[in-house]
Amino acid sequence: MNLLVTILAQTEPTYWLPEAVSNFAGPVDRDFYFVYWVSIFFLVLISALLVIFMWKFRTPPGAHAQSQRDHHLLLEITWTGIPIILSFMMFWYGYRGYVDMMTPPNDGISIVAEAQKWAWNFSYASNGATIPGMSEDLNLIRDQVRSGELSAEQAVAAEGKILEKAGLHVPMGIPINITLMAADVLHALYIPAFRVKKDCVPGRTGKIWFIADEPGIYDLYCAEYCGQGHSWMHSKVVVHETVEEYEKWLEVAGSYDESLPFEENGEIVWKRRGCISCHSVDGSEKVGPSWKGLFGSNRSFTATGTPGELVANEAYIEESIRFPMNKITEGYPPQMPVVKLTEKEILWVTEYIKSLGQNSGGAENPRKEN
Amino acid sequence: MSQPEMDAQAGEGTGVASQTDAPVSTEGPSYLTVTKTFSSWAFTLDHKRIGVMYLIGVLFMFLLGGMFALLVRTELFSPLAILTPFFADTAEAQADLYNRWFTTHGAIMVFLVIIPGVPAALGNFVLPLLLGAKDVAFPRLNLGSFYLWVIGALFFVYVLFSGGLDTGWTFYTPYSAESGTAVIPALVGVFILGFSSIFTGLNFIVTIHKMRPPGMTWFKMPLFLWATYSTAVMQVLATPVLGITLLLLLLERTLGIGIFDPRNGGDPVLFQHFFWFYSHPAVYIMIVPPMGIVSELIAVHSHKRIFGYTYIAFSSVSIAIFSFLVWGHHMFTSGQSTTMNIIFSGITFSVGIPSAIKVFNWIATMYKGALSLNTSMLYGISFIFLFTIGGLTGLFCAVLSIDTHIHDTYFIVAHFHYVMMGSGLIAFVGGLHHWWPKMTGKMFSEFWGRIACTLVFVGFNLTFIPQFVMGSLGMPRRYYTYADKFEGYHQLSTIGSYVMAAGFFLTAFYLIQSLVSGKKAPVNPWGGNSLEWHTASPPPLENFHNVPDATDPYDYENLEYDAATGNYETKKVS
Repeated sequence: MNLLVTILAQTEPTYWLPEAVSNFAGPVDRDFYFVYWVSIFFLVLISALLVIFMWKFRTPPGAHAQSQRDHHLLLEITWTGIPIILSFMMFWYGYRGYVDMMTPPNDGISIVAEAQKWAWNFSYASNGATIPGMSEDLNLIRDQVRSGELSAEQAVAAEGKILEKAGLHVPMGIPINITLMAADVLHALYIPAFRVKKDCVPGRTGKIWFIADEPGIYDLYCAEYCGQGHSWMHSKVVVHETVEEYEKWLEVAGSYDESLPFEENGEIVWKRRGCISCHSVDGSEKVGPSWKGLFGSNRSFTATGTPGELVANEAYIEESIRFPMNKITEGYPPQMPVVKLTEKEILWVTEYIKSLGQNSGGAENPRKEN
Repeated sequence: MSQPEMDAQAGEGTGVASQTDAPVSTEGPSYLTVTKTFSSWAFTLDHKRIGVMYLIGVLFMFLLGGMFALLVRTELFSPLAILTPFFADTAEAQADLYNRWFTTHGAIMVFLVIIPGVPAALGNFVLPLLLGAKDVAFPRLNLGSFYLWVIGALFFVYVLFSGGLDTGWTFYTPYSAESGTAVIPALVGVFILGFSSIFTGLNFIVTIHKMRPPGMTWFKMPLFLWATYSTAVMQVLATPVLGITLLLLLLERTLGIGIFDPRNGGDPVLFQHFFWFYSHPAVYIMIVPPMGIVSELIAVHSHKRIFGYTYIAFSSVSIAIFSFLVWGHHMFTSGQSTTMNIIFSGITFSVGIPSAIKVFNWIATMYKGALSLNTSMLYGISFIFLFTIGGLTGLFCAVLSIDTHIHDTYFIVAHFHYVMMGSGLIAFVGGLHHWWPKMTGKMFSEFWGRIACTLVFVGFNLTFIPQFVMGSLGMPRRYYTYADKFEGYHQLSTIGSYVMAAGFFLTAFYLIQSLVSGKKAPVNPWGGNSLEWHTASPPPLENFHNVPDATDPYDYENLEYDAATGNYETKKVS
């Protein structure tokens, strides 16, 4: 059994399972292969019996069976008893592994993962920084590789550049406690290489924990159907080799370069804080109104919030960010989550929106007639 | 009590069921030809005509649901958008469209095809015949449940033409509370279909209790009746829960009452509990009747007594009981309490045992039998193989640690397709072939039947085995686009779905062809001995010219094959 455990406790992907790089991967894979070999045994047994019987007992129409025996107590006991014993074993293994997953240690690093349509945001308790999943940019790279614009090496480099300020970053060898939250509908955090998954339920908090075993970059998916952008809502987990490396990264990634012009930082906020998933900047239609030409345009609001009309100005933008349900632009659903931006982030975003073209009180919002 | 009934009672007392040994009269009009007007079909109270109408409806919906499956599979042939751009301009609209396709596929297949497929379509036709009865206990209720099915189906057609539905067939909140698609008509449709299902279940329960022929005690019933009975109990007990859940969701959407939507103070996980409290038993509503069919197929076409009758009968009943206690295993990663997950995991394994018992008993039935490897039998054997895979992969999902990894991945998709389609629908198609001569009075082409069955079998495995692999490798389900590393698996899967579709189209072709130019079916073409093989093919309006006594449905020794007519005749018992 020990030899088997050593063979199975590998980090390389197998035909059936992805690379195994967390403290849970070994036990989960061991359980998987236990059930797998039991299943293969019964599948081969049953298939063999079916094929042999089909061959051996096939007859032309009208033949009579060689035997009409219709019961055999010992056989019934055997094929009831063996599955019961195997079921108990499987249940026990699964139970043992699962209880470990549900028992987080008291120490370690705490991170909040918040899911929204259709972006991830990871907030780090140690310095309060919120780092986005940057699904949009990662998708763009994927598309560019497919269309041949980027070579594989260029893609790795471009992805590395994005991940300098995005993704879920954790150090190796330390327990990571993740609190799961959702802003709108159900989502689920799924990291195949770590064998962890749990739903992010709006109005509730969930918890997962793990210890990453190997430095590297791994896939992170949304596994619970959440609508249009479900399959675009992926990000990456970056495992740093040491805590120092991780902390250094966090300090840099969590900060803005304040020497940049306001609107450039605003664009970073737009991507980093997930605004990008609902608001376009080129006038194309998304869940929320496009930011192009928004500043200075006439807005009219539905009765869901406070009905009325006004011309979009700085105060309106700030209110819409802080209290999204107060004023709902006509033609759009009341779906915007509260994303807690800092004072500076709000300032930069406002300047960014201004930079996207201004109206002098003329344009109507495009969906007003709907 | 009349004399024949007294005799039957006496026969029962000695443990020997009396044989119906009078030659079967095939004279007179059949139920198909007795009247020919439209209204004689539309207002018929004949269970056989209602069964046939159900069958036509279910097969049409199967075609529709299958088309959506092919759209989904074609789109997934590549991670790039390949089919949706023909219908929508922006990437967002294309993703929306894909979500509508897979939702429509799932909702149609579950609510309109598999749930009514075996009980309402085949069950309606066969159940009274198996009982030697003239009809079900409540013929008007039966017609009523058919029209409820039609109305429910019309709601779904309306959904298709009013922007579709994108919530997934599970209607998970809060997404379903805010989705801009036609959620309300879909909910109303499912609600109405629920009543159709309840009425059918109620009808079958009463029919089996009250209308068994003289001499047919519970343990002399054909196993298909045990399966339908267990299913009917589940339908009557579980479906109301779905009804009330959907009603609550309807109120939430229309009036903004907070039940499931956290923005109004509701709880989305509560919806999942309610939904699966119905939908888990519904899984068994979909699989237990097919198991009943397979018990008949394997015994009749092996010309051998069913092995372990009581074990198979009780396993149906125990599956029905356990099915109410395992709903939580759909929610292992939903955040419900650890203790609850452990309890649900434990109980889930208990459903595996009766399923294993059935499989082994079917195989033992084949041992030393006289196997006729015709189309129905091939479907029966395919069922055993596919159900074995479906059942064994269910073990992975029941083990908590493994499920944490494979939950909501393609592994689950493949697993439930092996159970719902590879087992449920394959047995339905097998049963359709088995009873086709009885229903239509025509024989189909065995040659093309075997080829189609092989295509379906190969295509099915090619479609879903790659899905197991990509699922355990981490491919989440309900994805419109995916990482490049999964492309090869998706392509195999798509090719498999085309092969399977070819098999089904071939089936449709030769079955329709048999109606036009098929050979006339004899009374008993396969050598069955349950009561439906003791009346004309197709049966007369009231099923039997003389009310039959119970036969021993699994006694095939007194049947002699007549090669000239292709009929199995009952030898006179002195």
